[in-house]
Amino acid sequence: MKILIVEDEPKTGDYLKQGLGEAGFVVDLLRDGTDGLHHALTEDYDLAILDVMLPGMDGWAILAGVRKAGKDMPVLFLSARDHVDDRVKGLELGADDYLVKPFAFSELLARVRTLLRRGSKGSATEFLRAADLELDLLRRRVTRAGKRIDLTSKEFALLELLLRRQDEVLPRSLIASQVWDMNFDSDTNVIEVAMRRLRAKVDDNFEPKLIRTVRGMGYVLESPACA
Amino acid sequence: MRLIGRTSITRRLALLFVTASSAVLLALGFVIATSVEKHFEQQDMEVLSGKMELARHALKTFKSQDDLDRVSQLLDNSLVGHHGLELIIFGPNHALLFATPNANFPFDMMAARAAQSPHRPMTWLLGDQTYRGIAAELPTGISERSRVVVAVALNIAHHQAFMRSFQQTLWFFVAGAALLTGLLGWLIARRGLAPLRAMREQAQVVTAQQLSHRLQVETVPIELAELAQSLNDMLARLEDAFHRLSDFSSDIAHELRTPVSNLMTQTQVVLSRARDADQYRSILESNAEEFERMARMISDMLLLAKADNGLVVPSRETLNVAAEILALFDYYDAVAEEKGLQLSVEGDGEVSADRLMLRRALGNLLSNAVRHAAARTTVRVRVHTDQDAVSIGMENTGDGIAQEYLERVFDRFFRVDPSRQRSSEGTGLGLAITKSIVVAHGGTISVASIGKVTTFTIRLPRVP
Repeated sequence: MKILIVEDEPKTGDYLKQGLGEAGFVVDLLRDGTDGLHHALTEDYDLAILDVMLPGMDGWAILAGVRKAGKDMPVLFLSARDHVDDRVKGLELGADDYLVKPFAFSELLARVRTLLRRGSKGSATEFLRAADLELDLLRRRVTRAGKRIDLTSKEFALLELLLRRQDEVLPRSLIASQVWDMNFDSDTNVIEVAMRRLRAKVDDNFEPKLIRTVRGMGYVLESPACA
Repeated sequence: MRLIGRTSITRRLALLFVTASSAVLLALGFVIATSVEKHFEQQDMEVLSGKMELARHALKTFKSQDDLDRVSQLLDNSLVGHHGLELIIFGPNHALLFATPNANFPFDMMAARAAQSPHRPMTWLLGDQTYRGIAAELPTGISERSRVVVAVALNIAHHQAFMRSFQQTLWFFVAGAALLTGLLGWLIARRGLAPLRAMREQAQVVTAQQLSHRLQVETVPIELAELAQSLNDMLARLEDAFHRLSDFSSDIAHELRTPVSNLMTQTQVVLSRARDADQYRSILESNAEEFERMARMISDMLLLAKADNGLVVPSRETLNVAAEILALFDYYDAVAEEKGLQLSVEGDGEVSADRLMLRRALGNLLSNAVRHAAARTTVRVRVHTDQDAVSIGMENTGDGIAQEYLERVFDRFFRVDPSRQRSSEGTGLGLAITKSIVVAHGGTISVASIGKVTTFTIRLPRVP
């Protein structure tokens, strides 16, 4: 998967490149709008991450140029400004997502993966598995090491999310949004508590432990086979 | 007033003074001129009809044609001798019987006027002299049928000259008076507007540092008192907003100072000597958590900053309040259960709101209620629809809030217990955000605390 980043802020650009590179993406980083558009048009990217304010040519202009050339790769905007107008403008121009600085890197990574997944067909799987944990989507049943585990519907949804995106660190905000449809940051440790209860049922009496807390970032379900 | 455009009030008033005084003076001059002229006419008529009467008497004494022939001799003494008086007499066959040297009457006047009323005068111009005269057909003493036409006229050039000079004087005076009233008007207006200048001087004192300065309403004239009051009210609002803004800025600085100093110390201590990877990891993780909280605080503060300029409700839809509450219960379920709390909702209502914002507002309240509820109690939400509003009451049993803090719980960064300031959760902005969202939706929020029971009540306009 090849990603184009156009970002003029040196530190942000470097860390985005490093972070996404370590997450397994091939990353081209450009610091100027004109070069950015040139690369976007001449090379094939699966996704573009554009800063709004750029020297040479702003992010909107790059997006307009890309869409005009008939390229439909997903485009994610980064901006220090959070104006409704900006969001609307971005969406009108055909942006796919909009992240306001400061943002958590795990949030960015999760959104990038979501955008990249959007294109591919949804897997019509019936079972999700990790190690000896198995989730039966049709019968809404969970077993580990053959033992039936009773989960509430939200716990089931939470586990399903972790399994579908295993080995990805999922930030709290993404979990709240995907499982409970709560698109705001709560100042209560709701996710921590829910996760603790899920682990008590899924992990406590079993080995290896599958769900791991990544401090400062979120949660990840790691299948031992991949580790 | 478009023509005058953006002139000073002083100039405008002076101009109005000039216009008004000129109009009055001109009207007055016109009335005087007319009456003087009328007076002259009356005077002339007295002279003319006197002479005519004299002629009538003289003619009555004429007994024969001879008398008529001698008319010039007879009349010369009695009628003539008046300066500027002209007389002409025609005999029965239009024979000229008598005429003064300059007598030259328009003929049609003689014919027409003589037969009609002799008292309606006529004015005419002869050379550069103006005459006013009357004509009459008078009987003689000779016989009933022997009538003569008599016409008398007065040279009224001197009247006319007087009127001309009168009019000149009048114009001169009107012009002078206009100038004078203009000047006076300007002075009066300047004087009258002195309070405005005084107000301006007072207003110039007001700066960002001296927002507390007010115009003195008691000393300005009644007409300006309302204006001064409105300006003062405006200043009060500005001052309030300005203070809140600067308080907010200092709050931000203060709130950020602690985490930044933590991060700095922690990082520097770790860097001061070589450590193993686990220790580095641990410090970075701790930093990440701190950064995350700071990022959240920044986004919360930005939302509140936007709310100060009037929060835009992005998209309204009709929402069922009880359904939203239940969704939130689902979210906070695990936390509540840990504390042994019961969550209950009663009643129902529909409001028009942005879903994300409403959830955030109610979520903050619920999170607050759950956090402060005593273990094994019930957090109760009562939704009630009345005539024009949906009220949502959220009640928890816990420590309660002291009365003196009740008003301040919606203030930014306000915490009842300052020692909880840096609790691991919460930015201290939750309730302020809830209030901003409620206000943006045209609603109100209030709080009451009786004993151990604290109730937050939101009222939102109901869907009509």
